[in-house]
Amino acid sequence: MKTLTFILVVDDDKEDHLILQDYFSEIGLNDYLTYKENGKEALDFLESLPEQNLPDLIVLDLNMPILNGVQTLLQLKRSPRYKNIPVIIYSTSENENEKRKCLSYGALNYVVKPSTYNGGLAIVKYFGSFLGSTQLAP
Amino acid sequence: MKEIVKVSLENDMDLILAHKKAMKLCELTGFSLMAQTSIATAISEIARCAIEFGKNAVLILGIESAGTRKFMNAVIVDSADFSHKCAEALSYARRLVGDIEVIKSEKDARIILKQQLNFGGTFSPAKIDSFVDYFEKEPPMSAYDEIRKKNLLLQEFADKIRESENEYRTLTDSLPLMIFIVNTRGIITYTNKWLEQFLGTIPKEINSQGWQNFIHPDDYPSFAKTTSGSLQKSIPINGQYRIQEKSSNNFVWHMLTVIPLKNENETVHKWIGFMVDIHAHKLAEQALKDNVELKIIQSKLFANQEELQEKIVALNRSNYELEQFAHLATHDLQEPLRKLFFYADSLSIKFSDTLGGSGKSMLKNMTSAAGRMKELITDLLNYSQLQQQQLAFERVDLNITLQEIFKDFEILIHEKKATFTIDPMPVINGNPLRLRQLFSNLISNALKYSKSDVPPHVQIRHVIEDDHNIFHVKDNGIGFDDQYKERIFGLFERLHTKDRFPGTGIGLAICKRIEELHNGFISASANVNEFALFEVRLPCEEKSVSKQ
Repeated sequence: MKTLTFILVVDDDKEDHLILQDYFSEIGLNDYLTYKENGKEALDFLESLPEQNLPDLIVLDLNMPILNGVQTLLQLKRSPRYKNIPVIIYSTSENENEKRKCLSYGALNYVVKPSTYNGGLAIVKYFGSFLGSTQLAP
Repeated sequence: MKEIVKVSLENDMDLILAHKKAMKLCELTGFSLMAQTSIATAISEIARCAIEFGKNAVLILGIESAGTRKFMNAVIVDSADFSHKCAEALSYARRLVGDIEVIKSEKDARIILKQQLNFGGTFSPAKIDSFVDYFEKEPPMSAYDEIRKKNLLLQEFADKIRESENEYRTLTDSLPLMIFIVNTRGIITYTNKWLEQFLGTIPKEINSQGWQNFIHPDDYPSFAKTTSGSLQKSIPINGQYRIQEKSSNNFVWHMLTVIPLKNENETVHKWIGFMVDIHAHKLAEQALKDNVELKIIQSKLFANQEELQEKIVALNRSNYELEQFAHLATHDLQEPLRKLFFYADSLSIKFSDTLGGSGKSMLKNMTSAAGRMKELITDLLNYSQLQQQQLAFERVDLNITLQEIFKDFEILIHEKKATFTIDPMPVINGNPLRLRQLFSNLISNALKYSKSDVPPHVQIRHVIEDDHNIFHVKDNGIGFDDQYKERIFGLFERLHTKDRFPGTGIGLAICKRIEELHNGFISASANVNEFALFEVRLPCEEKSVSKQ
């Protein structure tokens, strides 16, 4: 029976880490966040996890060094082990082409990083809604 | 028969000469005095008849060989037959010499007297030649004889010259080149047949008309200069000129050479000239020259292509840099700006109580400054994207486009109490997004640059003129000095301070670029405090549809 669930956020922007951390603290979910700075680190980390301990949600920034968001997304969706984990793209870019591309590669959603406090809050609540979803699985 | 001496028989003086020469030859050939007298008398008898009845009789004395035997012959020849008129003389002569023959032909009649030499074998050819010499060098037997002799010589020279001249004429006439002779006064005295045929003229005509009628007008000045110079200095003339052929009227390239002929005093007494057809040579030369020019042009073209290639590479590089800039603008510039907005907003919400009134006002100003920066970045990004874009075209109903724009400006229109007069708009080919941006910018300007005390009234007119859709967007605002009507389309050009009229100075530059991408043209005119008018011209049949 799987008990520990979490959200994996892959983003090289330290400030965005802090912002998300603050929000999750505010809504009491601080312990359910794990950060990795780029796609490669994230994949290595996922490799090390037992099957039943994989995250409920992966939040991916696009513009990252070493392995960027799109490349990471493609690797995740090609892998039988990870392809069913929901992935949400979390980016500053409002480029429609980029959005279409990510959705066609299998991203569940494309969320533009917030520029207002309330906007950020809504996003964090949305992310939080994924927690525990795997708990329902047998 | 070896001819020894000749006497023409015209008068009695000739008869005496004939007698004397005959006597002398008989003496030289060893006849006895009696035989000499007999033979000379017989010859004289016939000669007398020839003078009397003949036309142009000539006596020829000679020696004929027949095997070992040799004969002295006297031949009296005349173009008219006089033999029948001298039967008596003939019968008398027959008694004096061994053999007399009369031979008649169509050409002439000749009476031949023959007497065998006594010691034929002793006369070698050299000896016989010495007889010829003897008569040539023999002192004149009389003054008359001398005159006769000289006359005869002159006659022979004249014949030879005539013959030589005939040969020369035949030769020059048969040559495929033009030959002429000019005297020192420049008068043509001789031309060959080829020249007369080619030019279709005779020397007299050339002399009266001058050369310019036969030489290409472009070549004549050079011809005239060269010939007059050479004539003065008595040096040969060389040149290449186009001469007109009478039969075809075509100008044919010829090489002209004229050489001065000098007499023994070293003075020029005439000029001989000839002209050779060098047309084929000229054509080949021209073709060769063209070829060289072609090569030069080719190498220039090649250099141009290389330059073009370099420019394309540079352009690609600059396009790449532009893309990099666009990327930077979308992401790297917007990212810190977003955070600025976010923190300002978070501050004002979470720390509202501690900030107080002035703190909040500062935050508001900060957010507004960040907003202007965002606007600038968005405009710049738009503009940079337009630099590289090839637009996809489709049918665009501008009535719908305008409705959408009015919806965007709904609040502003309401605030400013703006009114519009709008013509029905056409459906045109173009890029919907960019056309909307174009009209949106113009309408936005019309609303923005209004007078503070007069509500804006904007007229949007449409006419078709010379296959062009022409749109006028005219306001009743503050206008601008007409001298700025071109400058305002430049990037970052602003005519007003930001305090009064905020903006980035990119809007009209974007409009101009959109027009260019639609093969159109935008222009402006204005009067200060009266109006600003923007004219947009778009071709009706938009050919750049293929740009897709």
